[in-house]
Amino acid sequence: MAEVRGARVAATTLALAAAAAVIGLPVLRLAATAMEHGPTALVGALGGPLAARAVANSLWTAAAIAALAVAAGTAAALVTERVAGGGRRWLRAGMLVPLLIPPFVLALGWTRAFGPRGYLDQAVGVELPGLYGPLGIVLVVAVAAAPVAYLIVAAALASRVEPDLERAARMSGAGRLTVLRTVTLPLLRPALLGATVVAFIFGLNAFGVPAVLGAPAAFGTITTRLYQDLAFSASDAAFERATALATSLVVVAVVVVGAADALLGGRRAARTGLPAGGGGGQAGRLGVAILAVAIVVVTALPALALLATAVTRAVGLPPVPANWTLDNFGEALDVRTVGAIGRSLLLSSAAATIVLGLAALVLAGVRRGPGRLAGTAVTLGFAVPGSALAIAVLLAWGGVLRDTLAIILVAYVAKFWALGHRQLAGSVDALPADLVRAARASGARPLVVLRTITLPILRPSILAAWFLVVISGLHELTMSSLLYGPGTSTLAVAVINVQQLGDPTVTASLAVLLTALVALPALPLLWLGRARAIGSAGAAG
Amino acid sequence: MRIGRPGSQDRRPNGGPAIVCRAVRLGYERNVVVHDLDLSVKPGELVALLGPSGSGKTTLLSAVAGFVPVLAGEIEIDGRVVSDARRHVPPEARSVGFVFQSHALWPHLSALDTVAYPLRRQGHSRDDARARAAVILDRLGIGRLAARRPSELSGGEQQRVGLGRALARGARVLLFDEPTANLDAALRTTLQEEIAEQRQRTGAAALYATHDTAEALALADRVALLRDGRLVQIGSPTEVYDRPVDLWAARLTGPASLLEVSVGDVGDGRAAVAIAGQIAPGVAIEGSTEAGSSPQALIRPDWARLGGELTGRVESIAYRGTHTDYRVSTAAGIVGIREGGAPRVEPGATTGWCLERAWLVRAERA
Repeated sequence: MAEVRGARVAATTLALAAAAAVIGLPVLRLAATAMEHGPTALVGALGGPLAARAVANSLWTAAAIAALAVAAGTAAALVTERVAGGGRRWLRAGMLVPLLIPPFVLALGWTRAFGPRGYLDQAVGVELPGLYGPLGIVLVVAVAAAPVAYLIVAAALASRVEPDLERAARMSGAGRLTVLRTVTLPLLRPALLGATVVAFIFGLNAFGVPAVLGAPAAFGTITTRLYQDLAFSASDAAFERATALATSLVVVAVVVVGAADALLGGRRAARTGLPAGGGGGQAGRLGVAILAVAIVVVTALPALALLATAVTRAVGLPPVPANWTLDNFGEALDVRTVGAIGRSLLLSSAAATIVLGLAALVLAGVRRGPGRLAGTAVTLGFAVPGSALAIAVLLAWGGVLRDTLAIILVAYVAKFWALGHRQLAGSVDALPADLVRAARASGARPLVVLRTITLPILRPSILAAWFLVVISGLHELTMSSLLYGPGTSTLAVAVINVQQLGDPTVTASLAVLLTALVALPALPLLWLGRARAIGSAGAAG
Repeated sequence: MRIGRPGSQDRRPNGGPAIVCRAVRLGYERNVVVHDLDLSVKPGELVALLGPSGSGKTTLLSAVAGFVPVLAGEIEIDGRVVSDARRHVPPEARSVGFVFQSHALWPHLSALDTVAYPLRRQGHSRDDARARAAVILDRLGIGRLAARRPSELSGGEQQRVGLGRALARGARVLLFDEPTANLDAALRTTLQEEIAEQRQRTGAAALYATHDTAEALALADRVALLRDGRLVQIGSPTEVYDRPVDLWAARLTGPASLLEVSVGDVGDGRAAVAIAGQIAPGVAIEGSTEAGSSPQALIRPDWARLGGELTGRVESIAYRGTHTDYRVSTAAGIVGIREGGAPRVEPGATTGWCLERAWLVRAERA
């Protein structure tokens, strides 16, 4: 027993050291740098008109995004889990498709589908007013965040809200809507709160979408302002402002997550009874239809518009076969982008592998005391918005690692550790203790149990967790755009750089390539119903 | 480790008990689940742990298996101390087989590989382990299911595989944690027979946790009654049924009625019993018969019969196929009577009845 205990302590020590290096040290350096000139200087840096407006813009758009995404995600979850019959599987997969598209690529798709000179404009002369600006940012980020809210609420509907509880209310005389109001929604409250927090952080974290849709309208958020301060200005004042902005992001994120954690506690409910069946009558069929149409409009059409732009010779031409060409891809795939694709794949798979190793260390280590500390650090890494984390990592490790792939890797590990950890911890916790006991009572030593029982049963979850981190890494733009140097740009960075040069067709081709890199391997997973695994990807964008 | 043979206990060097628990305390410092419990099981003996949920049955089994450490006391298996306050032999190094209430079948292994698993851990080659496992599956009547995964097996089939896995280790001690609790009534009976038969083949000692009285009485050589982590009574099935130590034990071990009675002089184990002014002569009396106490008579339904010198009114009748249960009200209380065959009287009728035996308990033990 003493040996096992020793191994656990060693695992936790290693995990804590890693957490300190990639998360603790950077965040502390960020805080120290921001406070270097005292709190007055910090407030002063935030008090400038541009910075103050950026903070306000970030806060209200994040709030609007959270409200919209949670409303849409909840409605969709009620439709797929309580109403839809045969088409349930397709609707579920459809709800999750936005997870496979990087949010800024989705924004590009929206501009091509609904923006000025987009296909809707070309076809019927109608464009979505305000797409460039806060309205567009809120809409597109909400579409990207909705699947995350959907997954949280749908999981709660499946596990926490017993269908039998709703049936009991029905047979007590409550109508459908009364059941929703008096039973379903009250039971969903923890999930709704959790989803709101995650969607708010998602909105706060958003960089690619405001960069694409906000810049033309001179609408800045904390993340885009940070990017401009860091990427286009070398002045000390700009850097000071950047650290101040980054600190404000950390504070907002930590306050929101901490408050939600305190409110949520550890409430659980077990499941019994029959699963909910389909058959929602007239209203139910209407719900299914609305959801299906919404998925097509907000996700499928923009994605198709982008694809059409990528294969059409020039912007403005109708996307008919006569105008089709693959030249845009040829132009997009120059030496630099091919290198960027390689680096993206390398960074993502390296981060995924390291993250799973670290997650295993935490899970194998002690559960109390220092083990919990490691868990907290991991959550902090995920909650801190990417822009702030990137600056923190730059401050802590820039001295030795600046302009190398390694510094991007450090940031990825810090950010995605929690993703891998949650995924793995979830399936480890769900493993019935009796399965391990049965193996021990059959004469297997702990390591043999791990090899013959635990790992084989967990293999699908481990694979799913690995894919999840790879997908998140390929999508990652916020941190990469702040940390890349000469010769270390990733594919997502290459797309946004080409976009800012203003070539829509080449941009579209690169964006399609980036999406295909993720979507092609992930689509079969979605269809296999492993969607839950890819699910929590959301807040990474 | 070989599969034990019937009667092998006679050839054991020390001939001592297979399981010994000495003052075993289990649980947590602030929440003790089992209190200083003493129990021993002889080789080849099956002791049923009978108690309601929360009485500590599963915790005790887990401690014997080595899943949880003991707070105090010691556990001995086959003459070797496996658990005390300082020592804890891990489960894989104890000679135990465990059958779980949850079946605990591994989702990624077929029935054959599940039963072969303990054999592999003993160093048998894959083919050898599978061949032996196939024999065990055949013996359990599920040879044709060898290739199936747990998700493709019914509850009864799953538990047979679980039983096969526990037997495969050839352990000196088998531990059963409510193995039939998740099965329906008909299946429960067949599986009980299966367990009894297979265990007798191996000659292993067994602890069998259950909250089903009929199961405990039918399977066990001895029944241990557990209440809040304490041993209330231990004895043969007839002992705990006929002579429960108190009212709680009586209710746990089977249906029982309680009547206020007064007892005449006991001679040769028999006495006249007055029930609400009526006299039942020659009732076999056991229990606390000291003078001066005002005892209650505990009456099993098979200790009374319809027809006789006492009178009562039939309140209700439940026909159960092999027998019929009557609830008869008397001035001293309601007495349950069980007789073979179909109902012989109508509900509401006045009927005579007689008392053949009674177990006297002091009223304050209620």
